[in-house]
Amino acid sequence: MKKALITGITGQDGSYLAEFLLNKGYEVHGIRRRSASFNMARISHLAKNPKFKLHFGDLTDSTNLTRIIAEVKPDEIYNLGAQSHVAVSFDEPEYTADCDGLGTMRLLESVRLLGLAKKTRIYQASTSELYGKVREIPQSETTPFHPRSPYGVAKMYGFWITINYRESYGMFACSGILFNHESPLRGDEFVTRKITRALGRILLGDQDCLYMGNMNSLRDWGHARDYVKAMWLILQQRKPEDFVIATGKQYSVRKFIELAAAEVGITVGWKGKGVAETGYVKAVRPLPGIETELKKGDIIVRIDPKFYRPAEVETLLGNPAKAKRVLGWKPETSFEELVSEMAASDLKLALSEHMLRKHGFGAVKSC
Amino acid sequence: MKKALITGYRGQDGSYLSQLLLAKGYDVYGADRAGDTGLWRMRELGIEGKVKEVSLDLLESTNINYALAKVKPDEIYNFAAQSFVGISFDQPVLTAEINAVGVARLLEGVRQARPQARFFQASTAELFGSMGSAQKNETTDFHPRSPYAVSKLYAHWLTVNYRQAHGLYACNGILFNHESPLRGEEFVTRKIAAAAARIKKGQLEKVAVGNLDALRDWGYAREYVEGMWLMLQQPKADDYILATGETHSVREFIETAFAAAGIKLEWKGRGLAEKGVDAKNGKVRVEVSKAFYRPADVKELVGDANKARKLLGWAPKTKFNDLAALMVDAETKRLEGKKVKP
Repeated sequence: MKKALITGITGQDGSYLAEFLLNKGYEVHGIRRRSASFNMARISHLAKNPKFKLHFGDLTDSTNLTRIIAEVKPDEIYNLGAQSHVAVSFDEPEYTADCDGLGTMRLLESVRLLGLAKKTRIYQASTSELYGKVREIPQSETTPFHPRSPYGVAKMYGFWITINYRESYGMFACSGILFNHESPLRGDEFVTRKITRALGRILLGDQDCLYMGNMNSLRDWGHARDYVKAMWLILQQRKPEDFVIATGKQYSVRKFIELAAAEVGITVGWKGKGVAETGYVKAVRPLPGIETELKKGDIIVRIDPKFYRPAEVETLLGNPAKAKRVLGWKPETSFEELVSEMAASDLKLALSEHMLRKHGFGAVKSC
Repeated sequence: MKKALITGYRGQDGSYLSQLLLAKGYDVYGADRAGDTGLWRMRELGIEGKVKEVSLDLLESTNINYALAKVKPDEIYNFAAQSFVGISFDQPVLTAEINAVGVARLLEGVRQARPQARFFQASTAELFGSMGSAQKNETTDFHPRSPYAVSKLYAHWLTVNYRQAHGLYACNGILFNHESPLRGEEFVTRKIAAAAARIKKGQLEKVAVGNLDALRDWGYAREYVEGMWLMLQQPKADDYILATGETHSVREFIETAFAAAGIKLEWKGRGLAEKGVDAKNGKVRVEVSKAFYRPADVKELVGDANKARKLLGWAPKTKFNDLAALMVDAETKRLEGKKVKP
């Protein structure tokens, strides 16, 4: 039986990947940070599986990583742990570098130290943010990088140190350069989830408005469930290589809002420009069993410049041709299906919050 | 009077730059590790005690912010680094802590405490690693080949990011190899120059080196610090390559340095068994040792400094042969107890 070790097990990708690997018969070990707040929501459904084991750990602690790897002796390590939020990295550049950059090296170095360089395969979660101010469209494995945030720069360190351990010590260590991948399990602070969470609440009258940054940003959005399969495939190849994982299609943040709103029965119209731009209700289509006081003309989207990044990434579009050719991988969920799944899931969540509040039980915590 | 703060000021580049800035009338503040490491450079340059020492370590941000608030520098030159490629394979975490995260701490300190200061980051040709043999310019893509190079790549892009995201005047000087009599002894050129002088004096039998066929673009450090200073005097911040555009192998450097010491070498054998033999008496003077090989080596590095030539008016003057000769000459003088003017 193969053993996998996943850092960042409590996150969106960690949860999908753990489930995927358990279904493949792996014994799955996850590293999670101790936290004062509950961070197990995404994986609590796996807790009873005897092949699923959790360890307390942290990418900033070498000794801890070495001990866990020595205990588990994994066949595969998936390094998904990171300070993964771009905007936060401008406020916490040092921690972001320590966790996303050096953390990756600590893992690689532990594997080498323990004499597992020839046994353990390592997947590094790389990102389209490396392309930042893009040098060509679309971006492939050969496109030069131009990161635009401390997050992008730290992840670039992780990318190159992975290659360096491959080239220096012959380790099977690879990066998947993943473009945006979303799902109902995305963290609330990421833009897609922020939008779908807000729209459900707005419809039910529990939030007045959605505050946005740059709505013209273009992104290549896929479903996280499809992307974790690519991570696994990358480690099953004969030789270690890096791959772009993307859909090859691009939509604006604005388009995401329009589709997500339509999913909960709202047609959005746009007025004004720049920071004065607003999104208003053009029409409301009643959904069965849901009462709303939302009416035509209500403003439900505004710009708050605090969500602008100090240096913006305007456009990201991936070329997944190599992944298709070599891994036989292709995305299975369309953009429309992704938005629809997220909006529907968050409407349900908003409804349950609404019912609880209505009956005097306050708000429930989401993950 | 302008104030400059130099981290790693007692290293080769830091000490040459200190001398240059003092001569230009700057008030120069320097930070370095505790102890007397590198003070000999200050003595040889005749500037001992002229640089004001400040306590600043890149591993800790509180003291960075304190130093910036105290000195209020107009220009900051970041030379502090674990700068030896070979060691970075053994100490990758420390290398990254100093060379990568250290720069994050420093830039963040500058952004918060001294955003009007101009910032120079010592970037390196090692970023190009295995990008082939063509001349590298400011638009060539990177492919680092050591934990040292990856850490410096982080610092390079973070410097760009602070310029683009926060509007700091922050520049990278992508410096190709630059040598001098003030190079640290663990670096191959200084090691060879010192060995040639000692062998000539009968104080040493032979020297062991790594890959003889590594090709590098070697300039004179004294000239390179002038280029760094020029980068901070422009209307806007940018990144520049400093290089000679010529490439020579380690083997050539050895031949030239030994010739300057009056020893003609002949090569015998191949690979690890290759030896440099004194043509006159048949004694082995140079050996190859695997201990000096890197896990992933960089075959060739050569730079194109046209942008610096055009925009900064900077050009290297000292030729490869003269550089090797002046390094051997300084070593010989040191052995003879004579005054060195590096």
